This record gives sequence, structure tokens and C-alpha cells, in this order.
Amino acid sequence: MTTTNRVDAEGRATIKGIICDILEIDAEDMTDTSRFKEDHEADSMGAIEILSQLERAFGVDIDQAELARMVNLEGVVTVIDEALLAKAA
Amino acid sequence: MSPLVLSAWSAVSPYGVGAEPFARGITAGRCAVGPLDPATHPGPFDRGGVVPDFSARTHVGKKGTRTMDRVTALAVAAVGQLLESCDGGPVRQPEETALVLGTGSGSVQSIMDFTRDSFAGERPYHVDPARFPNAVMNRAAGQSAIWHRIKGPNTTVAGGWLTGLLALSYAARLHRGGHCARVLCGAAEEYSEQRAWLEWHGRSAAERATPLGEGGAVFLLEPAEAAREAGHPALARLLTTRFRAYGAESEVRAALAACVRDALKTTGVAPGDVRLVAPLGAGGESAALEEAGVGDALGAADPRWIRCRPLLGDTSAAATSLQLAAVLAAAGADGLAPGEAALVTGVERDGTVGCALLAGA
Repeated sequence: MTTTNRVDAEGRATIKGIICDILEIDAEDMTDTSRFKEDHEADSMGAIEILSQLERAFGVDIDQAELARMVNLEGVVTVIDEALLAKAA
Repeated sequence: MSPLVLSAWSAVSPYGVGAEPFARGITAGRCAVGPLDPATHPGPFDRGGVVPDFSARTHVGKKGTRTMDRVTALAVAAVGQLLESCDGGPVRQPEETALVLGTGSGSVQSIMDFTRDSFAGERPYHVDPARFPNAVMNRAAGQSAIWHRIKGPNTTVAGGWLTGLLALSYAARLHRGGHCARVLCGAAEEYSEQRAWLEWHGRSAAERATPLGEGGAVFLLEPAEAAREAGHPALARLLTTRFRAYGAESEVRAALAACVRDALKTTGVAPGDVRLVAPLGAGGESAALEEAGVGDALGAADPRWIRCRPLLGDTSAAATSLQLAAVLAAAGADGLAPGEAALVTGVERDGTVGCALLAGA
């Protein structure tokens, strides 16, 4: 079950901005489900960078195992949401 | 004696991007050192020779350059300019083409920024991993090869002001050892607040005021026959390089004179054939000792002196490569004439002197 109430619209925009910046693409080219690797030519370095930048931006710890779920914007929002929940607990 | 000729060159300098603005600036003797805006270039210097309006994004490309630091971008741009000037010929056999690139310490700005992030962030690992490659010395050489698909040996050389000469020497050795068919060889240096402070603190009071410059130059070295087949003009033959150590500064003159004499003797070049000399001209006593040492070796010869440092500032690791580019700029499109020789010299404050001897092909 996906709940996104800890990542609001502003948080979502922050996430999208960070990812688009790293992948060097325009925001309009990325949808909630377009895939970083297949659709936006992300490599493993880009994936690590996304994880690391989000940790800094949201002050959370994200296990590298989560990279398997961080394949598109929707997946990243879910992971951040859970990380914020874990932090609040 | 090296069978290699210099058959193409490029420069990125305070005169702008490309060999042409460099050649125009050097031959006109125009000073490219100007006031630095303290907002964009904070630090101890209010004047400097920076490459105007240069950025990775504008001069290398929009994609893949987000985390490329300045010295890397300068190197990638200089190599790109060189390849463009010879229609990409050297990369048609990419495994046979080596790249030997000189640098100071890599980018001290990148190294310091990355380290500070680790100390100042909430966690030591809260750093930008994509910027880590900038924190190693061979980033510029490695990235230049990756960007331009050069697949031969890739070497980073560092030796202070003598870097460009040492890179040349290394390139000739690499070729002599049969490791490549041709070598792209040069050096690059960036202007940054961090480098400016390091230089300022590291210099003696007498030379502290010398403004810093930045830029890079890259040369194509290949056997004369290969140049002819490829339709590249043989601008000069690299005859030899020589290096020597000195202890006290008072030994600089004799050490450099011995270097130059040895270079002339082993290659059979008469002192009078040396028509161009491009010295480093480092601050304090060193510049005068350098010129005196060259003068001692050349005797009554009366060469033309090309002094880059007053025009470009102290370009540190890029200095001797830019001096070599200045020699080729002065020689013109046809290069050095047969029977004509040129010298590039340098004195490194850490106790080494060196020279490269070139001649008309």
C-alpha cells in the first residue's frame, strides 16, 4: 500500500528537480512512471547520486538495497515517504 | 634523437578558445591579464588571466558536463580543438593514440570542496558522489580520452612549472617504447580561489604579486612519415628534452646552461641555429637566472625571446606547454624553417630545470 502523505507536492517537486538535474533532462520529459535507466539513460553512478542527493535534501538514510525500487519518480517518492516515516518513528 | 614531429596544436588561453586567438595574442604581444571581479573570483589576487566566458556547458556540451570541473573542461576543450583541427584523424585508430596530459594537482578546488562537504555535512558520507572523480589527479586526462574516444595509453604527469616539458619527454618515451603510434600531449591548469590561496601562501614575498593565469595547450606528436601520409604539416621536430636538478638558487644558471648545452651537443644543433627561446620567466631572481643560463649556452647567438608570463600570468602546470604553443604560434602555419631551432625552458622552484629543443622538420 502506497501512502504519500509525508511527501507533499512541494517535496515531490524537490525530488523531481533533483533527479532531472542529475539526469540532465527537462522536467517535462519525466513522468511519474518513466524509467530512469531505460527512458532517461541513467547509469549506476546516476542512481547512486540520486540516492545520495535525496539523503542530503531530506535528511534521511536510504539503504542502497532500495535502489531496486528507485527506478522511476513514483518509486523514489515511495522510498522517501517510507524513509521519512522511519525517521519520524 | 626523437623521430617525432609536432604536426598540430591547440590552445585554450586567456585570449580565448582555440589556437587562432592564442597565436594572434602572442604575436601581437597583447597582455591578457585583466582585473578579476571579486564576486566571481574571490581570493588574494585582483588581477588574473582567465579564459573569457569559458564553461564546461558552453564549450564542451550541455549533456554530461554537470559535474565536470573547470580544469577537466579546459582539457577536454583543448583536446577537442586539436582533433577538430586535423579532422579527427588521430582517433580513427583510437587504440593507437596515447594521451599524456600534465596537471598541477588535478583540481584543488574539487579536492577541497569534496573534502569540506564530508566534514561539514550531517554525515561524512553526505557528499556528491558524482563529483568524486574530480577529486583525483587523472580526471582531466581520463575524461578527455573518454569524451573523445581515445583508447591508447592514458597518462597524467605532474611536475610544477616543468609539467609541459616532462609530459613531452614522457610522450616521446611512450612512443619510443612502442606503446602507441602517436601521442596527444599537453597540459591544463584552472583558475580557482583555492589555487590562488595556495599559490599566494606558497610564494616568497618577492613574487607574491604575480597574477595567476589558466588555460591549456595540446600537441599532436607523430612520426614525420605518418604526418606526411595524413597530410599534417610538420611544424617542428621534437629533437630532445633535458632535465637537471639544482640545490641552491645560485645553481640555476649553471644547471640550465648545462641542460641546453647537452641538448645542443647530442642533437648536433649549433647555438646560432636557435632562433626562438620561450622561457618560463618565473618570479623573483629565477627569471634572470634562467635567461642568463640560456645565454651562457647560446653564446653569441641572438635569438628572439618570447616571454609568455607577462602576457598570460603564472599558468603553473600549463606554463611550459603554453610556451611551446607560443613557439609554434611564432613559427606560423609552415612551422619552423629547415635549419631553424627553438628552445622552451623552465625552472621549477622545487629544484629542477629543463628544456625542450625543437627544429624545423
